[in-house]
Amino acid sequence: MGKKIGSGRLGDLYRPGKKVWKRREWRGVRDTLYDYSRWLHTMGILGKFMLNKNNIKAFFRYRWMLNYLAVPMMVDRHTAGLRGSHLRIAHTEYDLVVEDIAKLMANMFRADQNTGNDQEFSKKLVILDENEMSHLLCGFPNLIGVGREIPAVYVSVLLQQDAVCPYIDIAQEYGLSGDVCPMPEAEVGVSIEDDYPVFGACAIQCNTTCDGSLMGNGVISRRLEGEHGIPCFQLAAPMRHTEDGVQEYAAQEIRNAIKFIEDCTGETWDWDAYFECARRFNAETRERMEWLDMSATDYPQVIGANLALYTETVYMAIGGKVPAFLKADQKITRLAAKSYKKKEMIVPEYRHRAIVWGVQSQYYTDFLPWLQNCWGILPLVDMLSLVSTRMISEDDPEQAIYDMAHLYENMIMRNRTHGGYKVLLDDLWRFCEQFRADMVILWEHMSCKALDGMHGLFEEQAREHGIRLIWAVHDLMDPRVVPRAALRQDVNRYMRSVLREEPLDPSLEEIDDGASW
Amino acid sequence: MRDLKHLYYFEKLLDEANNELVRRARQEGRICVGNVCSLVPEVLLDLPGTFTVRLRAPRTGSMEMGTYYMTSFLCEYSRALLERAIEGGYQFLDCLIAPDACSMINRAVENMELLKTMPGEKFYYQNMEIPMKADDNGLSVYVSECRRKILEPLHQVYGIGISEDALRKAVEDHNQVCDLITRIGEFRKEEHPRITGYEYHMITMASYVCPKDLLVEKLRETLEEVQQRRPDEKLPYRARVVMVGSEIDDVDMIRLVEEAGALVVADRFCFGALPGREVIQLNDREDVLTQVCRHYMYASECARYMNREKIEGRRTYVDRLAKEYHADGIIYEQMKFCDYWAYERMVGSHVLREEYGYPVLSIDRPYAVGSSGQIRTRVQAFVESIEIKKLQKKQGGAV
Repeated sequence: MGKKIGSGRLGDLYRPGKKVWKRREWRGVRDTLYDYSRWLHTMGILGKFMLNKNNIKAFFRYRWMLNYLAVPMMVDRHTAGLRGSHLRIAHTEYDLVVEDIAKLMANMFRADQNTGNDQEFSKKLVILDENEMSHLLCGFPNLIGVGREIPAVYVSVLLQQDAVCPYIDIAQEYGLSGDVCPMPEAEVGVSIEDDYPVFGACAIQCNTTCDGSLMGNGVISRRLEGEHGIPCFQLAAPMRHTEDGVQEYAAQEIRNAIKFIEDCTGETWDWDAYFECARRFNAETRERMEWLDMSATDYPQVIGANLALYTETVYMAIGGKVPAFLKADQKITRLAAKSYKKKEMIVPEYRHRAIVWGVQSQYYTDFLPWLQNCWGILPLVDMLSLVSTRMISEDDPEQAIYDMAHLYENMIMRNRTHGGYKVLLDDLWRFCEQFRADMVILWEHMSCKALDGMHGLFEEQAREHGIRLIWAVHDLMDPRVVPRAALRQDVNRYMRSVLREEPLDPSLEEIDDGASW
Repeated sequence: MRDLKHLYYFEKLLDEANNELVRRARQEGRICVGNVCSLVPEVLLDLPGTFTVRLRAPRTGSMEMGTYYMTSFLCEYSRALLERAIEGGYQFLDCLIAPDACSMINRAVENMELLKTMPGEKFYYQNMEIPMKADDNGLSVYVSECRRKILEPLHQVYGIGISEDALRKAVEDHNQVCDLITRIGEFRKEEHPRITGYEYHMITMASYVCPKDLLVEKLRETLEEVQQRRPDEKLPYRARVVMVGSEIDDVDMIRLVEEAGALVVADRFCFGALPGREVIQLNDREDVLTQVCRHYMYASECARYMNREKIEGRRTYVDRLAKEYHADGIIYEQMKFCDYWAYERMVGSHVLREEYGYPVLSIDRPYAVGSSGQIRTRVQAFVESIEIKKLQKKQGGAV
């Protein structure tokens, strides 16, 4: 391993049967030192986090907290093989994401009845769904929106592949069918096990991505409202979100939700605060569009899993509220532009330009770095990053309501799983053309009915469009059903038997990461 | 009890989607409107000059094509409908109105559209937005969607009258059938019911898949017959149950449960009568469309409604049915892979058991039950457990 991209055998880092890599990746002196400094930064955040007594208490109270020991390894997995600007772009993204999650959890445990129990502070918190936009909080500068499911379920699996298996089992033992999506299933399992922090003035639930998610909310609200006395509002975003006829309905839901928060917290909606966030959100959107434009060229710079995870945070959880994210976006654009001018590549050879479509495997988000490092398949952009790029109003309150409605309708994933086949099927081929992709990596999350329901048509239309389509079958949050190795096997088989290609890095073709974080 | 005079007739109507009455209505020049879900207000599809058929796939065997297009993880109902559509089994339809209610049915209908399964020149699809909460905002979108996606296209494409008078006439005709079916169903409340759950299911289901007006005479005669019918002195059933859950259009399902010893006295499932066959009350103060939509929105017991009042209301509704129909227990059922009922069944079965004190059996099932030994065994065991509880209660022991 050395300074140059592709100079090492990344598969040699894996230790069969072990959780972490053998050693840190050697990337040449400069990049290794930089990478190590970011590792220290992450360890610093973890250390600081653990100095707080509420957080220590939470560490022993909540089973899922144990997963957070794996944060540095998660960053390592997602920066494998990167050098120069690309390494710096990735760390800029992850530094902020890690800080943001640490802050979110610290707030949560300060207010939580089981840990900090700061009741006055708790009244300033509004619970949001895990997959929900947070723009409703932009107009309440004194309130903080907190998604309890993000640290308990969503991030946990990102850190440790089998993190939520116990909660899935709990839900099934309680009587839930095993064929529903494991994400809401795990969220419900946490609720049944009473393993969520208890806090908040109220909760805004939303019909986010799928039928299962909607139904899981019903179970959670029963405990929230019935046992903890935390009032819940169900925000119903329309399903046919591309149609003009439903926009007034969507807007009224936003108005009702704002009124509900005002009633529950005694706060008043502040348009100045909202528009400040809107301006920042637009600026962030413009930065993201620049990255996407670069991805359409021969020298993409901001791509793959890192783009997806970062976009989720910026677009959905932050929504223009935190200035640091805009600064980070601008830094990323500068780095990317510099790298683009120099025609720097992420891996030594780009054999295929791929659009990654469907719902990603949460327990294997670093599948995308593996694709690029092992086979030279460049994951240009994924479905989760292809969210709304519409500019929202920065000064018109009436239009702003419709903008928020639009964003709630177009939450990550929801913008494709709902709204009819045009946004799922037709848009895919449009993006293939826009990004000049010759391949589609199609995550087939086996319990995602909205995606599964188009299986045959994806295949038929891929053939019609001359696009190579590789299925990556997984079960979202449960690696017991489809292990990471099986996902890689799908690709290996296709690349060898259909395309007759040899891997860029043969050491990655067969790796043993079954016991890894 | 003696068999009902028209039972065989009703059973025959359920043998195929394009049944005798559908063919007759089509020959009369009426427009056939397909629907796939109780959330599309049925009465608006039964206007003067139209009739509606709720799609089923009777005698489903292989679902290979449906499975290819939608994988084996979608519910068998949606796959069976797609399979039947690809086979050309719904070509008698003039349009298909589908709700964007559950992902699976939505995808099934989209596949039908993209695979061009309906060749009719004027044939069209509509996908409706259905409110997810029962409130004023939900009602406003419901009304506008019904106008834009049901009434106006029927008028524009097929020249169907959609005036207030036409809607009132549709409600009047609908109520006539609902009233007959409800009155027949009332006999299930008796200590010795004069109609079985199976018979009632056949009658109710026929009303969903045939032009209703062509059924009226047979329904009226059946009501008269049931009124005169003498129930068996000794019932062949050992327990009375409310059946709650996702859609059941398989003629074998209720029969299987009853053969296992549980009389189904109330049918709280799609293709059932509770709700679905209650009379719609109209006033003269408000337009008919709004009243119809309000009725469907508040009467619906679909698990998709997400506001707390509706969620809790679903359980109190089951409790009310169990009391009214003197049920000994409740069977919560769901079709495999149905997300909505997977959750509703899980919570509902706990709530009804732990908070309301009913014995509850919780099962999932395939679309076509056939003679499933597994379900039969579970129902038999459930019936026995109810009997034991009754016996213990009688003896003053622990229940």
